[in-house]
Amino acid sequence: MSEMTWEHLRDLDCTAVRTLGESWKTYVDQQLAHTERLRTDVIEGHLSAEHYESDTATQVREQIGMTADRYEDDLSDYAGTRIATTLLEAADAFEKEQNELKELIPLIEQHDFAIEGPHSEYDVNLSGGLHRAILSLDPPQWLCDKCGVKKPDGFWDIDTLKVLFDSVDLYGTAIGLAGQYQDWLRAVMSRAHDADDEAAAALAEMRENPTELPPHLGATYDDLVDDYKEGVTEEVADEAEAIAEGTSGMSPEQVNQWWQHLSESERQALIAEHPEWVGPVDGIPTASRDTANRTLLDNDIDGLDSRIAAKEQALQGMDPESDEYEQAKQELDDLKGDRSDLANLQDRITNDDGTPALAEGPEPQQPYYLLGFGTQDSGRAIVSIGNPDTADNVNTFVPGTTANLGGAPGILNRTETMQSDAQLASPGSSNATVMWLGYDAPDTIVPEAAQERWADGASEDLENFTQGLSATGQEHTNHTLTGHSYGTTVIGHAATKDGVDADNIVFVASPGVGTDTASALGVDEDNVWATRNSLDPIHLSPDFLHGADPTGDDFGGNAYHSDTGAWNANNHSTYWDDTNMAGRETLADIATGQR
Amino acid sequence: MSRRPRPGPPWRRALAALAALPPVRSIVENLMDNPPEPQYTQAEAYAPMEAAAADAVAVLPDFPGFKERIWGELPATRNGIDVQGFTIVEITYVFSLPDSGTPLVRETYLDVLREHWTALGYTITRDAVKEKPDRIDRSLVAIRPDGIALWYWASGYTVLRVQSGPVTASEPGTIEYVPPTGGVRAGGRYDKVGKYFPEGIPVDRDAVDPFDSPDSYEDSL
Repeated sequence: MSEMTWEHLRDLDCTAVRTLGESWKTYVDQQLAHTERLRTDVIEGHLSAEHYESDTATQVREQIGMTADRYEDDLSDYAGTRIATTLLEAADAFEKEQNELKELIPLIEQHDFAIEGPHSEYDVNLSGGLHRAILSLDPPQWLCDKCGVKKPDGFWDIDTLKVLFDSVDLYGTAIGLAGQYQDWLRAVMSRAHDADDEAAAALAEMRENPTELPPHLGATYDDLVDDYKEGVTEEVADEAEAIAEGTSGMSPEQVNQWWQHLSESERQALIAEHPEWVGPVDGIPTASRDTANRTLLDNDIDGLDSRIAAKEQALQGMDPESDEYEQAKQELDDLKGDRSDLANLQDRITNDDGTPALAEGPEPQQPYYLLGFGTQDSGRAIVSIGNPDTADNVNTFVPGTTANLGGAPGILNRTETMQSDAQLASPGSSNATVMWLGYDAPDTIVPEAAQERWADGASEDLENFTQGLSATGQEHTNHTLTGHSYGTTVIGHAATKDGVDADNIVFVASPGVGTDTASALGVDEDNVWATRNSLDPIHLSPDFLHGADPTGDDFGGNAYHSDTGAWNANNHSTYWDDTNMAGRETLADIATGQR
Repeated sequence: MSRRPRPGPPWRRALAALAALPPVRSIVENLMDNPPEPQYTQAEAYAPMEAAAADAVAVLPDFPGFKERIWGELPATRNGIDVQGFTIVEITYVFSLPDSGTPLVRETYLDVLREHWTALGYTITRDAVKEKPDRIDRSLVAIRPDGIALWYWASGYTVLRVQSGPVTASEPGTIEYVPPTGGVRAGGRYDKVGKYFPEGIPVDRDAVDPFDSPDSYEDSL
């Protein structure tokens, strides 16, 4: 775990880290020139078949070629992807948080607060001086201004008495502001620690032993070279497996570089033979993931059919009155439920002829891309309408409480609505909208939606997903993260804990996002948006559960208006209904960069 | 990340404490799970909605025709999200991009529809103008007494949207095809009703003509 303190981060020379990363990239380019010379000057030049024609000469040319390939692979994997990209990503991440710190620390000092506690969880408290100032009825001017009282200038005059009777508010206000700065500082340090740990993991996962070189020329060459070639092929598979299992330490950007470096035949082989190593992996391009995931979906449905048949057969031999039968029957029902959920998802995104279906919407109609799914817990489903890799605007929607695989087609309707609204609002740009049910959502409002663990469990996956979109997408794509209900809590936790790659964050009907200030989200406050309609029962959600109402003035960011549905409608879920065109129009404008 | 409790106004803390009480919790959860009784089923809603669109088109002068029609659904409630067994039907008629930008479509039609819908006794719930760097967006929403909403939105495209409000979801096989209004060719590429009729637009039964809407749909409900 990172030991970085806020002072370390403040004083870190990010430029030096970046320069080091750039140096490694330059080194890679220089070394590639050498292998190029080997190929053109030696293999195709001095040692070409035109000059030397014999079995030995052929072996020599082959061995030099394989050595050059090996060198290039290692350069790419280690020097380029592992070292250079890790350093550059770390420099970017540290610099972003350092800039936040440069804004935050002076504010903490100006308000006479003190940073205390361990680096893993800093507290921002009132300093002794500020305590004394409040207790001695001599509060600082900023606090008087925030509380709307005049700073007392004499003993027991009317202003002093007013301050005396308002002393709780003075304390409350000061503690509230300190709490916001604390949230902000903790979020900055959490993201910095995350970047530090990720960089360390990426470097630590470099192989300790040098990779194997082609066999020596000689009597055993013919016997060994085939094993060598096979080993090279297996290396790709090993890397793919490690990436898919999350043990490679590579970021989505690094995964993308690794994928781009593979040959087309290697990529196709992985998709065909190991779709499980391709479909779920953030950083692999959307089209490839979609192809792999559709294969996996077919396989999973077939597998469930087999298991259902086997279970039905097993049931026939059991005593219907036995506990064993009851248990097996329950397992059978669960299997059938999973099979039905997966089949419904498949039906929605696939035409009868097996090709990807187009979502209903304005021209040009956009195909569905399957970016992930699963039946574990309440299920997972990540589906994009439109290709996020080529879109100008990408809006990722995170649903909330009760979202599950069985309800994915319904959530897709809502996603389709947002996609349709975005295309109508901005016909000149290409848009994609993603349903990200990539986490185990709470099943109940009470008690599950009151717990933070579902959001914490989703945090890293959402971070990786947004980083994956950045890695595979266009350089200037406008990324929006939109959450509904508990989905906003998920986004807030991910943004403050691990960080998310997003230009805009939208909180719809939020019970709180795990922080009391938009400043802690790592996104420009001007691009943080929140809405609650006046009849939404989410107003009853207390601050101590998930934090302050993000539509509140103290939270920062922007609040936008949403109309209510009927007084007795479920106004927690009317934000995309025919009663809230105002909110839908605003969301479409945000998602298409028009706000 | 542990968080310190933030002092808030006493009324918020009292409300929060109240909300934590089991009976109040139960009421809140109940409110969030039970929308009002819908007037139509999904299958019943399409005909009056299409009739509402046809009625709007009939009053628009020099009507250039819509480019496409889209039958969509909002997930108020279908397939497990929110409340099981409910949905909201949304029918969208889209003008072509060139027509969407003309003053006739963006401004005149909006004025005509405002007057028409008001005269019909519909409630105007939204009449907004939004200035953007390169255009002015307009939005007009009218709600009929039966709950059907009409939304005329001049944005990048200009659209007429007809929305049902929450209705009981129907089995796909019970949904009848209603031909489009406003110049969209029935069953054509731009008549986007495909997901409701995967075998093709039904031709062996009489399609509902939205222009021939009865005074009441009671008998067909």
